[in-house]
Amino acid sequence: MDKDCAESGLTWQVRANQRCYHKRQQKKSFLGFCWGRCSDNQVRSYKYSVLTFLPLTLFEQFQRAANLYFLFMMALQCVPIISSIQWYISIIPLILILSVRAVKDLINDMGRRRSDVLISQSFSPAQWKDLCVGDIVRIHKDQTIPADVMLLCSTETHSLSYVETADIDGETNLKYRQALGATHDELTSEPSECRLASFDGVVFCEEPNDGMYAFRGQLHWRGERFLLDNEHLLLRGTVLRNTQIAYGLVIYTGADTKILRNCGKLRAKRTRLESSLNRAVIGIVVFLLLVVLLLAIACGVFASRVMIRTEVLSALVINGDPVYTGFLVYWSYFILLGPAVPIMLYVTFELIHTFHSKFINWDLEMYWPQTDCPAQARNTSLCEELGQVEYLLSDKTGTLTQNRLLFRQCCIAGEIYGDASVRAEDTEPMDLTWNPFSRGGLFMWAPTLVERLRAQRCPTISRFFTALTVCHTVMAQWKEDVPVYQAASPDEGALVGAARELGWVFLSRSRDVMVVSEMGVTRHYKLLALLDFTSQRRRMSVLVRDPEGSLKLYCKGADIVILERLQRDCPHQESTEQALELFSQACLRTLCIAVRSVSETSWEQWSKTLARAAAMATFDRNALLEKLYDEMEQDLQLLGVTAIEDRLQEDVPETISLLKQAGIKVWVLTGDKKETAVNIGYACKLLDPDTRLLEWQELRQILQSPDPVVHFLKIKQTDLWAVEKEKAGVQTAVVLTGPELTEFDQRPEWGVKFMNLAQQCHTVLCCRVTPGQKADVVTLVRKHTSSITLSIGDGANDVNMIKTAHVGVGLTGVEGGQAVQNADFSLSSFRFLQRLLLVHGRWSYRRISLFLRYFLFKTCSFALVHLWFSIFNGFSAQDVSAENSLKWPELYKCGQRQELSGPLVLFASLVYALYASFVLFFVPCGVYYNSAVDYQTMAVTVSMAAVFTANIEMVLLTRNWTKFNIGAVCVSLLLYFICSRITHSKFLFQRAPADYLFYGASDEAFTDPVVWLTALLTAWTAVLPSMTFLALSVIQNIHGKHKVHSRSQQPVELRSQFGRKTSLCRSSFVVAQGPV
Amino acid sequence: MVKDENESANRPDNTAFTQQRLPAWQPMLSAGIVIPGFVLIGLAFIGIGVALFITSRSIQVLELDYTGMEQDSPCFRCSNADLRDCVCSIRFSINSLFEGPVFFYYGLSNYFQNYRRYGVSRDDNQLYGDLTYFKKPFDQCEPYRYDSNNQPIVPCGSVANSMFNDTFTLFQNVNDQQVVVPLDGKGIAWWTDYNIKFRNPSITPLRNAFNGTAKPLFWSRPAYELDPSDPANNGFINQDFLVWMRTAALPDFRKLYRRITEGNYANGLPAGNYTLEIAYNYPVLSFNGRKKVVFSNVSWMGGKNEFLGIAYLVIGSLCVVMSVVMLIVYAKFKFPEED
Repeated sequence: MDKDCAESGLTWQVRANQRCYHKRQQKKSFLGFCWGRCSDNQVRSYKYSVLTFLPLTLFEQFQRAANLYFLFMMALQCVPIISSIQWYISIIPLILILSVRAVKDLINDMGRRRSDVLISQSFSPAQWKDLCVGDIVRIHKDQTIPADVMLLCSTETHSLSYVETADIDGETNLKYRQALGATHDELTSEPSECRLASFDGVVFCEEPNDGMYAFRGQLHWRGERFLLDNEHLLLRGTVLRNTQIAYGLVIYTGADTKILRNCGKLRAKRTRLESSLNRAVIGIVVFLLLVVLLLAIACGVFASRVMIRTEVLSALVINGDPVYTGFLVYWSYFILLGPAVPIMLYVTFELIHTFHSKFINWDLEMYWPQTDCPAQARNTSLCEELGQVEYLLSDKTGTLTQNRLLFRQCCIAGEIYGDASVRAEDTEPMDLTWNPFSRGGLFMWAPTLVERLRAQRCPTISRFFTALTVCHTVMAQWKEDVPVYQAASPDEGALVGAARELGWVFLSRSRDVMVVSEMGVTRHYKLLALLDFTSQRRRMSVLVRDPEGSLKLYCKGADIVILERLQRDCPHQESTEQALELFSQACLRTLCIAVRSVSETSWEQWSKTLARAAAMATFDRNALLEKLYDEMEQDLQLLGVTAIEDRLQEDVPETISLLKQAGIKVWVLTGDKKETAVNIGYACKLLDPDTRLLEWQELRQILQSPDPVVHFLKIKQTDLWAVEKEKAGVQTAVVLTGPELTEFDQRPEWGVKFMNLAQQCHTVLCCRVTPGQKADVVTLVRKHTSSITLSIGDGANDVNMIKTAHVGVGLTGVEGGQAVQNADFSLSSFRFLQRLLLVHGRWSYRRISLFLRYFLFKTCSFALVHLWFSIFNGFSAQDVSAENSLKWPELYKCGQRQELSGPLVLFASLVYALYASFVLFFVPCGVYYNSAVDYQTMAVTVSMAAVFTANIEMVLLTRNWTKFNIGAVCVSLLLYFICSRITHSKFLFQRAPADYLFYGASDEAFTDPVVWLTALLTAWTAVLPSMTFLALSVIQNIHGKHKVHSRSQQPVELRSQFGRKTSLCRSSFVVAQGPV
Repeated sequence: MVKDENESANRPDNTAFTQQRLPAWQPMLSAGIVIPGFVLIGLAFIGIGVALFITSRSIQVLELDYTGMEQDSPCFRCSNADLRDCVCSIRFSINSLFEGPVFFYYGLSNYFQNYRRYGVSRDDNQLYGDLTYFKKPFDQCEPYRYDSNNQPIVPCGSVANSMFNDTFTLFQNVNDQQVVVPLDGKGIAWWTDYNIKFRNPSITPLRNAFNGTAKPLFWSRPAYELDPSDPANNGFINQDFLVWMRTAALPDFRKLYRRITEGNYANGLPAGNYTLEIAYNYPVLSFNGRKKVVFSNVSWMGGKNEFLGIAYLVIGSLCVVMSVVMLIVYAKFKFPEED
């Protein structure tokens, strides 16, 4: 039997109530090695343990090219024959940066660990982490399911259990799961707990996988086999609703669960700037290697041509072999030019990052007083990435919308009640005290409707509300004499709730009777048939026998499907259609309500066919049923239209339009239905009313054509001709659904085509997507564009995409903390995104890129001075400023925090650095040539000139002077002199004469006017190009500024203090500063 | 926003720094500042340049090459490396008073004193008078660390070993008589070198400190006998030694040899004929080097240095030219051709 299962792929074996069997298989790990099959059920989003911390963090850090390079350098320094500067000069910064980074990682990880502990303890009396495969668990109402569990039985009839899957797919409607008939029958009979304890079934099923909606397995129990599928499985992360107690058998735990399989791996994110920095570092190293090679060859030549003949030098040719000398000198140079690779850059980088994230944490404008929740940068190293985002991928439920539906308007018999132009909060509450069931929560002002309802003179209105109270799948629960509704879909809940407020109260339902109170009169409707809602049918109907004995079919559904099923010459059709248009313009969700009287004969006939069809077990049963349903839902009489507002989060449309202006493409990825998604798209201004929706059929054609973009443009063109010529900028949006996305897996070449197309389009909506698919979409964007992606979401279903995107933002919302746990930034509301991106992101990006440019310039120009010097010292790796290289980095880092600007022109700055180094060496060289100046004085002169250059350069780059800037420049200049005095001091010299041999050099140099004059001249010559460039740009700006001002006179919404000053900025947010 | 401090423990501080609202001063640069700025800086540089240039011009320099490469050179005979204790003399005349104080340099060219392995081939601990390093010199002194008898060399290393050992005597020819011009060898080294960096071991007599050590290979006398005329000028604090140990920055360099400050020559060298007698010991021809002596007087800016003045003039004029260009650009933008 086992073999059969194994052959059909069901290799995962779960033995109920056999803990010791499964315990043995549990995964154990020591020092990163793992064995065993099943994972334990601990919630774990942290990475490190006490033992693995050091190796893991070191491993991660040495993935950076520069760190590795410095390790290598350090090793070289320890070889005395080639070491040219003291070994600790490079070990100190290396250790510093490693420890800074490690401490930061550790703190991040500790944070995660703490919040994991919080989550773990919420399940009692057993804790989540104690669960083991094969356990039987009892889950109470409103508890979160701790593992993937096979439902055995529940307290409800037929062992039905309702679960809310909001954390998994973002849908808030309840879904039911049903236990196997066999287990239900056997295990619910008294005493059930004892029977459960002795349950000894064995489940064979698939190995853990990431298919959220698929499960295959068999239960072997008492010699019988029962097939298991998705319907029997309660997934971890879902919440048990409407069910007192459910019992289940734990199938997958921990990392094996479907949701965690969908979560993706936690990996260290690196920013684009950082990787370009990495590339720059590699570039510098390669360049250095080349230069060093040339120098070494030159050294060898020098050794063989000059030194051998020079008596005083010849003995210095090692072993008399010029080649060997060259080889050794190669490595010496390598060490000496080391400072060109800016290791301190990383430390400073970290520091700036930390400060930027602190600024984000500190920002009052992103503080949400309702929940007392400030914004939080959980990953401190991604700040500048916020300034480069091009694709924003957003979840819908809970992110864009509040997931609160409000009944705002309706149209009955062609007459519109309520006014949606008034904001829901501002609506005057109506006097509903006459209604004992009223509990408030109706945001509609329609006194005429109430009047007419109470008068009960208009039968259409009565029937409209009867339809609302009867035609649904809502369950009523009684709490304090008021029914509380548990709706499978939030729309239904809103409709039934609104009807309750207006006096049509749904009281309870049993298997075939619905009890309704109509204006205080209790009536029983016999439920004959329920024609269910599916996304294909887009409607649902109930067939009831009313207390008077007549048969009625109440139907509600999407306007298109209802309108085409109306009887001919239906009254009010035209006015209702107008109302529909009005509602959809107000971005309300609409449903049409219709009724049909059914004759006894046709009902009898239909019910017989239905019974026959329902009994069929073949594949075409569903098709047959659908046909039958369709037959019944004909000749409808239109009653009216309901309009429901899906409450958006605060300021969502404003934020989205702002982001769109900033050139960010906003995509929506949701597990929700297509209609809902499109509706929300309209509501939050993502789609304009005249946006053309490109759906799958058309998209597929385009993708199949050889040149999709051309084809697409052609279609667009014909559209233009067809519709309106003057509307040149017709926008297009792509609407996709999950199943359609799976086709991309089979056609990998579509990815490129699709992305090309998507770049032409305005936005993309992906509906009905699983968490895994959300991540796939993110991957698609990442793979085919070089853009930065940002994902924002609030639920567990967004975790994967948050992890996959360059930047992940989690909303601290109602849906639990999973998203925030895994996010890089956490916000309290979607609208804070504008400030996070447009203000903080932009500042960070500009500051950091400018800083980077400056730093590269500084270090490279200093290091390259060696190169010029070597030409004059016989290519022997003399060092100008060994001690000084220690202290430069500290000098400037405080100065970088303030406003910097400009694009990233690494190459230009490197060339500039080359020029500066040239000047820095040759001017002093010219001055001191053929003079009595010794090399230490020259070293001091060059370093002084270099410090001057760097400071002037910084002054030039700084556009906004705060007290910190001025302080920083002064302090850095002062520090240079102080440090020089310290390292050249008598005290240090007397302690270690061989290490501090510069003693006295600065005393002499600082009192020599020629040194000062030379340093001044050198520094000025070095900065002359950038000075000229600045001056020219200032002059040209006079012209440019006029243009800018005449174009945008409107006030700027974002009050960025430093934001809009430079016109040189070419980052993607230039547009954001325009009018809003 | 609700301002309820009690309920909002997580509320960020509202300070200028945390909210990035520090008062910032933004220099509004305009053409009206930039162009005159450039002109001013240019003029300042030109001014400094002129001053430097004039100062430099007023400095008198007399250079005499005595390498002896050429056949007709008086030192040609001595340039033969095999010859020991060769003395040659150069005659020269001064037409007008060479104003004092006159500095007397020796110069070497194509001499790579800044070659790295050369430059570090010294033991600062030893030179600081640390006796432990007399026994075991610093390993970077190789190959001048121990001599062939395995005796430690003091002072060790290339720099000390290659110390310049030509000596000069200057005579003024007055009525066929040679009058010695007194040369002042005191205080030609840096104060810090003489007083702190270089120390003789505190053992008297000094020679005892050097027991069990060898003199550098190229030296004719041990360190404690460098200056037989002045016992205080021996060991590591010998002025010539100090000057030599302060290695030059560039391959063409000069080093101070003596100053002429005494007697009749305190005001400078009067016009007349002079003879320079050179004890020619130091070989440079093998590496195409040149040797010379330089007489120079100094100003506030040190020795003659035309490069600095010219460079200032060039950069200054460049700034002025730049500002003219900017003016043209400015005019073009400000008054675009409207016709």
